[in-house]
Amino acid sequence: MMPLTMARAGETVTIQGITGKDEVRQHLVELGFVVNGEITVVNQIAGNLILQVKDGRVALDKTMANRIMI
Amino acid sequence: MGLKIALAGNPNSGKTTLFNSLTGSNQYVGNWPGVTVEKKEGHLKGNKDVVIQDLPGIYSLSPYTLEEVVSRSYLVTQKPDAILNIVDGTNIERNLYLTTQLLELGLPVVLAVNMIDLVRKNGDQIDLNKLGKALGCEAVEMSALKSKGSMEAANKAVAAAKAGRAAEPLQMYTGSVEEAISRIEELINGKVDAQYLRWYAVKLFERDERIEEELQLDSSVKKEVENAIVKCEKELDDDAESIITNQRYTYISGVVAKAVKKKGAKHSMTTSDKIDRIVTNRILALPIFAGIMFVIYAIAMGGYSFSIGTMGTDWVNDVLFGEIVPGAVDSILGALHVEGVLYSLIQDGIVAGVGAVLGFVPQILVLFLFLAILEDIGYMARVAFIMDRIFRRFGLSGKSFIPMLVATGCGVPGIMASRTIEQDRDRKMTIMTTGFIPCGAKMPIIGLFAGAIFGGSSLVATSAFFIGIAAVVISGIMLKKFKAFAGEPAPFVMELPAYHLPSVGNVLRATWERGWSFIKRAGTVILLSSIVLWFLQGFGFTDGTFGMVEDNNTSLLAAIGNAIAWIFYPLGWVGDMAWKATVATFTGLIAKEEVVNTFGVLYHYSGELSEAGDEVWNLVAADFTALTAYSFMIFNLLCAPCFAAMGAIKREMNNTKWTLGAIGYMCGFAYVVAMIVYQLGGLVTGEVGFNFFTIVAAAALVGMIYLLCRKGYQPEQGNYSIKGKMSVEAR
Repeated sequence: MMPLTMARAGETVTIQGITGKDEVRQHLVELGFVVNGEITVVNQIAGNLILQVKDGRVALDKTMANRIMI
Repeated sequence: MGLKIALAGNPNSGKTTLFNSLTGSNQYVGNWPGVTVEKKEGHLKGNKDVVIQDLPGIYSLSPYTLEEVVSRSYLVTQKPDAILNIVDGTNIERNLYLTTQLLELGLPVVLAVNMIDLVRKNGDQIDLNKLGKALGCEAVEMSALKSKGSMEAANKAVAAAKAGRAAEPLQMYTGSVEEAISRIEELINGKVDAQYLRWYAVKLFERDERIEEELQLDSSVKKEVENAIVKCEKELDDDAESIITNQRYTYISGVVAKAVKKKGAKHSMTTSDKIDRIVTNRILALPIFAGIMFVIYAIAMGGYSFSIGTMGTDWVNDVLFGEIVPGAVDSILGALHVEGVLYSLIQDGIVAGVGAVLGFVPQILVLFLFLAILEDIGYMARVAFIMDRIFRRFGLSGKSFIPMLVATGCGVPGIMASRTIEQDRDRKMTIMTTGFIPCGAKMPIIGLFAGAIFGGSSLVATSAFFIGIAAVVISGIMLKKFKAFAGEPAPFVMELPAYHLPSVGNVLRATWERGWSFIKRAGTVILLSSIVLWFLQGFGFTDGTFGMVEDNNTSLLAAIGNAIAWIFYPLGWVGDMAWKATVATFTGLIAKEEVVNTFGVLYHYSGELSEAGDEVWNLVAADFTALTAYSFMIFNLLCAPCFAAMGAIKREMNNTKWTLGAIGYMCGFAYVVAMIVYQLGGLVTGEVGFNFFTIVAAAALVGMIYLLCRKGYQPEQGNYSIKGKMSVEAR
C-alpha cells in the first residue's frame, strides 16, 4: 500500500483504504471514494490532484490525497 | 391546500437550472432558520397550487454539513408531498448514493435523470424502466440546460404527490445488516412517525448523534440498539457507518449494471480532461488565469475602445445623470413650483448622491457578467484549485479567492460569495479580509490622489492593489496565529464539473443578483445618507442663528469634522485639511465613491465633478503632501467598508460579536498601517520630526512583525473538520 500522491498522471489505481477521522472519510465516500473502487489520476500539480472518481472529477489537495491508500 | 415538492440533488447536477426553469421569476429567496444557508422556493409555472422547495445541493443526508442537516430536517419535519430528485446522468453511480437515502424517507419520489443528451452523446444508454423498477420509484429523463423534460418531470412529481404513494422499500441491506436494522425498527416502533421508521432506524445504526439527541431514547432501549449494532459490526469486522455506505454502493452498482449500458472505455480522457490538462497545468495555469482576468478587467473597467463597461459608466455619469435626469427633475420641479431648500435637497442631495453611485453600475455589471460566465462553464472551480496552493501559505483556502475576485467589483456580493466556503473559521477570515480588496468605488479615491499629487502616475493605482493584497496576506498570517483561527484550512476537496457551454438564464440571473445587491444600496442607504449629508453640509450656525450657510466651513459638517479630527492627528491629517479629510472619510462609510464627491463639495467646486475630481486637483494638491495623501489613501482603502458592506458582513457572520470584531479589526489595521507609513515614512524623508507618535508607530510595527513571526497557537494534531458543501455550485 502507498499513498495516492505516489500515483502518476494517467494511472488508474484501486483504493485499498482511507485513513483518518470518520468525518473526512465519510465525505470522501460521499464523493465516490470507496474501498476497492477505481480512481484515475487526471492531473497533478505539486502534489495536488485532479482525479476521476466514478464518472466525476474531484480535486484533492496533497494532505487529503496522502490519506488515500492505493 | 397546495402541494409541496422538494427538489433535491447533488451540487452540479443542474438543480439550480431546473429550479429556475420550473419557477421562472416566482421565487422567494431567504435563509433557512438560524443559518446562512440560502433557502429558495417558488411556485410551479402554470400551477400556482404547487410550491417547489429548492434544497441545498448535497451529496448525502449525513449530519456533517450545515446544508445536509438543513435538508434532512426539512424532509423529516415538513413532510413535503413528494421529492423530485435530480441526478446527473453522466455520473449516475455517485448521484444515486443520495437517492438511496432519499428513498428511505418513505415519501413519494420521482427520479429525474438530467443531462440525458450528454449521456447519449457519449454513446451510453440508460433504461429508465429498469432503473425505476430497481429503485422502486418512477424515473424520467430530462435536460435542464436545453429545458427538455423539465416540466414533464415536475408533472410526474405532482402526480406522485397527489397519489401519495411512497417509494417501494428497497432490499438494500443484506443478512446481518438487515437483521440489525429490523431489530432497531422494532425497538423504536411507536416512538417515531411510522412513515420515517426505516430512516430513523438506519440513522441510529450509523450512530448519528443528532438523531440520538432528537429521539431521547430510554437508556435500556439505547443499550439494546447499541447491542444490535455491535453484533453486526463484529460479524462484518467494520464500523457501522462504513457498513452502510458499502451496502449502498454495492446495491447501486447492481442497479447501474442492470439499467445502464456504457459504451466508452472506462477511463478515457474526455474533452473536459483535455482542457484541464492545459488550464490546470503546473506552468501554464497562472499565466492563463492572469490573461483571462486582464481581458475581463480591460473590457469592464479599462480605457480601451472595446471597454464597454467604462463607456456605459461614462454615459451614465455624463449624459444620464449629467444632463437627462437633472434636466427632467428640473422641469418637473419647475412645473410644481418647487424652489429653494426643497429644490436644493432633491437636486443637489438626492439626484447627485444617488447618481454618483449608479454611475458604477455598467462597469460592475460587465465584470459580474464575465465572472458569472466563468462560474457557469466550470472554470471558477479550477481557479479555486489553482489558487489553493498559494492561498494555503497564508492560511486561507483556494475557495477564498472567488469572493475576492467578486469584491474587485463590489464588496457586498463579494462578502456574500464567501458562503461557499465550508469551514467556519475559513469563512470568517475570508469575510474579514475581503473588504481590503479595492472595490470599484475605491478607484476614484485612488484616481483623485494619483492625479492631484502624483502626476497621474499609474504606479499609485498599482500600489493600491498591492496594498490591498498585502493587507489580505498579512491579516491572514497574523489572524491564523490566534486561537480562534488556528489550525490548517479545511482540506481542499472539490468536485470539478465538466466544462459546458454557459446557460444564458443562469448567467444573467447570477449577474443580476450580484449587481442588484450593489444597486439596492442606491435606493436605501445612499438615498438616506445623501439627504443627511446634504443637510449637514448645507446648514449651520452663522452669527448665532441656525440656517442655511453659504460657506460650508461654517456648516454642521465642518463642526463635526473639526470636533473629531484629532483622532487622525497621528496619521498626519493636520491643519486645514484635517476636518475635510475627516469628513470625507466619514462620508466614505456611506459609499466609498462619496469621498471624492465630498472633496468636491468641501473645496467649493460648484459643478458636475468628473469621476476622479480633476477640477479640484489643484486645491487638493495645495493641502496634501505626498505623504499625507498616501496616509489618507491607505486608511480609506483599508478601513471599514461602506455601510452596505458592513450590512453584508453582519448577515454573513450572523453574530454581533464577530461583526463588530471584523469591522473593528479592519479599522484598527487601517489606522496602524497609515500611522506607520506617515510617521516612519516621514522620519525617513524628513517631513515629520521625531515625536511621541514616532515611538508609537515604531512599537506598532514591531508588534506587527512579532504577530507575523510568532509561533502562534498550536491546535491539537489532526484537528480536521469539513463542514458545508464541497463545491462551488454553478449558480
